[in-house]
Parts: sequence; C-alpha cells; structure tokens
Amino acid sequence: MTLTDFASLLVSALLLAGIYSIMSVGMTVIYGVMKIVNLAHAGFMMLGAYFAWEMYARFNIDPILAALLAFPVMFVIGGAVHWVLVRRLPHSDEPTLQSLLLMFGLWLLLQNIGYLIWGNTDRSIFTPRTLSVVHVGPIAISTVRLVVFGVAIACLVLLEVVVNYTWFGRSLRALIQNRYAGLIVGVYEDATAGLTFGLGIGFAGLAGGLLASLYSFDPDFGRAFLIRAFVIIVLGGLDSISGVALGALVLALVETFSILFVPAGYQLAISFGLLVVVLIVLPGGIASLLAKMRRVA
Amino acid sequence: MTAAPAMENPRRAPKWITGALLVAGIILLVVLPLVIGSTNFVRLLFLTLLWVTTSIAWNLLGGFAGQVSFGFAVFYGVGAYTTALAINGKINPFLAFVMGAVAAAIISVLLGLPTFRLRGPYFAIATIGISEAVRVVMTNVGFTGGASGYRILEARPFEQFEHYFTALALAIIALVVSAKIADAKFGLGLKAIRQDEDAAADVGVNPFTNKLAVHAIAAALTGAAGGVFARYAAFIHPNGVFGFQTGVHILLMPVIGGIATVWGPVVGGFVFGIVEEEIVASFPQIHLLLYGSLLILIIMFEPGGILGGVREVIRRYRGRKH
Repeated sequence: MTLTDFASLLVSALLLAGIYSIMSVGMTVIYGVMKIVNLAHAGFMMLGAYFAWEMYARFNIDPILAALLAFPVMFVIGGAVHWVLVRRLPHSDEPTLQSLLLMFGLWLLLQNIGYLIWGNTDRSIFTPRTLSVVHVGPIAISTVRLVVFGVAIACLVLLEVVVNYTWFGRSLRALIQNRYAGLIVGVYEDATAGLTFGLGIGFAGLAGGLLASLYSFDPDFGRAFLIRAFVIIVLGGLDSISGVALGALVLALVETFSILFVPAGYQLAISFGLLVVVLIVLPGGIASLLAKMRRVA
Repeated sequence: MTAAPAMENPRRAPKWITGALLVAGIILLVVLPLVIGSTNFVRLLFLTLLWVTTSIAWNLLGGFAGQVSFGFAVFYGVGAYTTALAINGKINPFLAFVMGAVAAAIISVLLGLPTFRLRGPYFAIATIGISEAVRVVMTNVGFTGGASGYRILEARPFEQFEHYFTALALAIIALVVSAKIADAKFGLGLKAIRQDEDAAADVGVNPFTNKLAVHAIAAALTGAAGGVFARYAAFIHPNGVFGFQTGVHILLMPVIGGIATVWGPVVGGFVFGIVEEEIVASFPQIHLLLYGSLLILIIMFEPGGILGGVREVIRRYRGRKH
C-alpha cells in the first residue's frame, strides 16, 4: 500500500466518521436522558431519507438542504411520539425491556408505513454533485461526502453549543448526570424529556436525509446503520455526546481499513461482530479503557 | 395451610381443566387434518405448529429467565442447515433433526458464554448484532451455496402427513419441556434470575450457568423446528431461515400470547401462525403494521399478552359475581 492509498483511506474514514457521529448522537441524547435504547431510530432515519428524496423529486430542493429541513419535521414527530407513547413508560435508571420492545414495535410500524407509501424499490438521490470529485494533491475526495461531512460537523457543533449554553441544555445535562438530583433542583422533566426525544429523532431524520445522498435506500434502510450506531454509542460510553465522535471515528477507521484484510462481502459482519465484542470487552466505552490504562500506569 | 390445593396459584386454572383442554387440543390436531385433509390446510397447521415450537422455546429464555433475544433465527438457521446437510449426506431424517438440535445447542453455548455477561437490554442488543453477523457470514460461505441457498434432495416421495406429525410431536415435546421447567426448581431459579440477578445469585442460583442451560434447551428446540422446516421446504436460504425477520417472528409470538407463562406462547404461536399464513397472505402490505401496533398496544396496555388479558377478564367477571 502506497502512502497515497493510506492517506485516501484515512480521509474517507474521517468523512465516514462525520456521518456516523451525526447518526448516533440522536440515540445518545435519548439514552442519556431517558435510558431508552431507541430501536426505532432506524425507522426515523428511513423517514428522513424519504423526506429528502421527496423534497428533491417533487420540489427540486437540494437534497442537503432537504436533510436540514427534515430536522424540524422529525423534531415535531419525535415530540409527538414522546407525548403519545414514551411519556407513559415507567421511569427507570436502567433501560427496560418494555421500552426496548415498545421502540421495536414502533420501528416495525414505521417500516410498514414506508412500504405502504413508497413500496420496496430501492431509491437513490442523484444530483450533478453525486459523481463529482475534489482533488487535494494526489487524493480524490467525493464532493458529496465532503459536503455531508461539513454539514454533519456543523450540526454537531451546534448541538454542543445548545447543550452547553442554553437552559434546555443545562436541564438535559442535569438529567443525564443524575435524574433525582435534577428533579430536586427543579428540572422540569417532562418538557426536557420531550424536547430531548424530539432532538434525538430530529437528528435521526437529519442523518437519514444526509445518508440518502450517499447510499440507496428502501424502507428497511437503517438496520445496518442502527447496529453501527449501537457500536458507536457503546464505544463512546453510552451517554456522552463528545464520546460519540470518538466512537464514530474508531468504527469508521476499523471499517475502512478492514477492506484491506477481509473480503467486502464480510464487511457488515465486521461491524456487527464488533458490536458484540465492544459490548463485552468495553462496556464502559473508550473513556473507561483510558481510565483503566491511567490507573495501571 | 396443610391442604396443598389452597397453596396453588389462584390465577391458574384448575389442573383438570388444563389437562382436558390439552388432550382435546391434541386429539383435534390429530383428527382435524385427517378429516379435512386439504394440502393447504395441513400446510397451515404444520407451519403453525413449528411457530408454536419456536415460540415456546423463546419463552424459556425470554419469558422464564427474562433474557430477551432477537437472535433465535441463528438457531433456526443452524438447525435447518445442519439437518439439510445431514439429509443430503444420506442420514435418517429423524437423526438429522436431532443433529440439528444438538448443533444449535452447541452454538447457543458458544454464543452464550460471552453474551450472558451482559444484562437485560445489552444482551438483547448484542443478539441483534450476532444474528445479523451470522446472516452476513452465511450469505458468503461457499459450501452451503451462500446467498443462493441450499437444496435438499431426499430419495423418497413427499409425505405431507409425515411432516405434519413430526411437527406435532415436536410441539408437544416443547410444551412438555416448558411445563416441566415451569414446575421444577430449575424454573424457579430462572424466575429468580428474571426478577433480580444479584438476589438470585445471593440465594445460590448461578445466573450464568442457569442462563446457559436454558439457552441451550431453547436453542435445541428451535434448531429441531428449523430442521423440520428445512426438510419440508426442501430449499433454504440464509435470508429466510437466518433472516432478522425470522428472529423477530419468534420474539413476537410469546409477547403476543403472554410472556413467562406455559400457555401464552402456545396461544401466541397459534394466533401468529394463522395470522401470518392466512391474513398476511391476503394483505401482505400491512403485516408489519399489524405486528408493530400489536406490540405497542400490548406493551402499553396489557403486558401479559392475550393470556393476561383473558385472565384479567375472568378475574373481573368473578370479582363481580362475589
């Protein structure tokens, strides 16, 4: 492998990490505040992808802009889902099987709605940007991936600002750190949880919309990405927003460089297998590994 | 307190009623296909009985021990492929079913050793990963034909009733195993694990070995069902028997019928089998919608499933009478 090849792979891994972190961050905030593993995330990603596609096909809106538009729409849908269903689940400090199965049922429902409306043919968004390439020295970078990466990073920064500098963000962090202490100091849990759920689903829609520009999709779209999102949030330590970026980078690097050693057909098996390995070996995520190394040293 | 019947769970129907229902049900399942005899009807009952078997098997781990697994398609698939390979190797089909069951049990132990260190939802998520990883690997391996599937060649005529009674026998075996476990100390241990793993360990129930054991039993039953299906279908492919959808179906049935009971999964299996094979065949566009909404409704309103709902109705009726 030449140095150029290596640099190319590194760049594509980095670009992949951007989109991976945006698709996982929604799961992380929901898990952090409500301790719900959102299996329906894949379904909302699928809705986001079709939203972007419809916007592009009907109104000729730029797919990237359409993905951004998907955020507020999915935010409202997420808030509604929280109001109707999630709010009624009993509170728990650990994810419950009840919530897991509820979200799973919701996923099946969304998938079927997808099949009813759009059928099971693969769709894709094809714009002049899709095939264009930017040359940086000897490395060729796909323009659309670069744009998606830029949007993803911008949204993550925006989320970080909201979480760190707004009243809502402060409530959100309080609930993640210690729900009871948060309630004692007067965090309005219902509203915060509802907004957080909306935020998480909004990010799912945004990620789906962005992914639609990169891959083809059908109503079952999102299952492979859902499992990747699990790997990432477990690597990142489940409820840490900055950990997501780290987890996404690790997964993207593993996936990209595994092409060198493993046939492409087994590619998905790597991320799925990695999920199991990570859950068992690193249940506390990378942060706990670093802490352990520091203690040993 | 001396009288044993007074100690019995008042929610349970009296023993003679369940016994009579069981005998009547089995007689019905033996006689009905012979009387009606239409190929399509027997096929429906055959598939339903296989679903009932897997439903009972899933409930052993997911209901009694409380470990929700999305990965039972792995055992169904392993059983199906092992049986298929064995039958093509000129081994007696019934021995082949046993081989399928054993292979699935062995795989379940191999998978359980690492994953049972995880608890509750983390175990559930890991099983999604395992199920998908196995499916991807099976679509790529060469010796079973990969994604294009695997054909079973049997040098004898197709006897639908032989298949049907095999499935019936398997379902009865599964039911007996499930009922025995529910009454045994082993079952109590599993119940303790479901309620609180740490407390169970404190009173001397080893959660890890108990979970491994019940996982193996459940896998063996599921694997045998996969084998019986493979022989009937004579053609299997990874996206069918190893499909995520298969694992989902196996999980849905006990939840629909009533988790952690002996009869709930049976009810769920029959309801699902008939819905899946008849209603879904007429309205293929809405089957996920049906299952999804059913799951949501059950979780939100009646976590006991159909059986729990029926019991609730009976209790209210009795309550009004007294």
